[in-house]
Amino acid sequence: MNCENYQILLSDLVDGTLMAEDCARVEVHLSSCPDCVGARDDLRVIIDFCREQRGRYDAVPNERAMWLRISNLIEAEKSSPARSQAPGEAGWWFRLMNRSWQLSFPQLAGLVSAIVLVVAIATAFSVYRLSSIASPQVAGFVPTSGGASIEDRYQQRQQMIAYWNQRVELNKARWNPQMRETFDRNMSVIDAAVTDSMKQLSQNPHDSVSEDILNDALNDKVALLKEFSDL
Amino acid sequence: MKLFSSNTRKPVTILSAVSSILIVLAASSFALAQQKVSRRFPAGKNVRFELKNVTGTITVETWQRDEILVTALMDTRKATFNPRQTETGLVIDIVGDNRGRGDIGDMNFKIQLPARSSVDLETRSGQISVSNIQGDLVRAHIWTSGDIQLSGVNASRVFASNTSGDIFFDGEFASGGTYEFKSGRGTISLQLPANCGFHLVATAPVKKISMGPFWDDTKMKLLGEGRRITGDVGDGRASVTITNFQGEIKFFRR
Repeated sequence: MNCENYQILLSDLVDGTLMAEDCARVEVHLSSCPDCVGARDDLRVIIDFCREQRGRYDAVPNERAMWLRISNLIEAEKSSPARSQAPGEAGWWFRLMNRSWQLSFPQLAGLVSAIVLVVAIATAFSVYRLSSIASPQVAGFVPTSGGASIEDRYQQRQQMIAYWNQRVELNKARWNPQMRETFDRNMSVIDAAVTDSMKQLSQNPHDSVSEDILNDALNDKVALLKEFSDL
Repeated sequence: MKLFSSNTRKPVTILSAVSSILIVLAASSFALAQQKVSRRFPAGKNVRFELKNVTGTITVETWQRDEILVTALMDTRKATFNPRQTETGLVIDIVGDNRGRGDIGDMNFKIQLPARSSVDLETRSGQISVSNIQGDLVRAHIWTSGDIQLSGVNASRVFASNTSGDIFFDGEFASGGTYEFKSGRGTISLQLPANCGFHLVATAPVKKISMGPFWDDTKMKLLGEGRRITGDVGDGRASVTITNFQGEIKFFRR
């Protein structure tokens, strides 16, 4: 019988519940084993302390239920490796979101500093881009009093023109050749005015005369397409 | 030597006779295909006349009678023509009346009405001619090609516009009146009395505005490298706006 077997019997020995035969054998072993004597003495001190303190602390109302809950928690911790360890086929986002992060204070401070730096750079870049779009020198067109540049208005008009042009093209097959020729010839006159004024504006974005001609020509084009769309 | 013998001259004579008959028949069938319609409508002194045509010539003249005479010459019998009398005058909408009928060909109108009338004329293509109107409004609009001629016009509001074709105005600008002329490619000519007064905004390509005797260094200025002239002529009380995308603008003294 080794020390481990004897130490199992020590608790009963201290309590005085051990069989006489076993008690004699343990006593013989204790006389020759200082380690087991030390373990017996420690156990005796603990039990004596508990006996002295009995009644000072309220007993747990339902000791069995509490131990059951603790046991359940321990079991849950054991069975949760799936949460801490993502399956191999899981994506990086899944693994990132299911990872438990434990950061030291320097790491946390570094992370916060990095976030602040990135946000500051992104904000500065956005402000620069907005101001460069609004700038007539960079965009090449004069911003109007309404805030939209001529190019923006030109694009809006072009969308409208594309819509009406589509409708005209649908009906054009029904026109007589003379009408088709007249329409195309006159549309080319307006298109030439649009092209000329756009060219002038690209050279001189502050040219109000070209801006007026461009607006007039685009308005005329939309009106002409509308008029001929139901012909 | 005889150039033609009596034998060769005979077939030529027959051929000429047959050709003449064919030409006469073709001309008469064309005339039969055309349709001329005239209608009279009672009118007061101040009448408003509106006409929206598809293609064809519109000629408006004045006369002494208190009635409107509309004469329409239609290329085909397919076209319909339904003038509508309103409280203030007469409306003719050829576009609306013939919607869905396909190609109706040219419709040429001659309108005679009292001098103190307002006229609002519009066509997709064709000529417009208005003379001696003394009413409140003269509007002549050609969506595509066609000349506009306004002669002896004395109205407080005049609007004339086309895309291709010349515009000619011979009349007077009333104090406080509004006058707008606009073309894509034609020549815009204004013939005015020497004592007329107006504020001008004229826009055309470089060196294509000729003010003639109405140029005044002290009251006018050039903008946009000479593509725009603004300023006053005389008292500057009428407002005149002229825009020409590609053509010329010319002023003449009457």
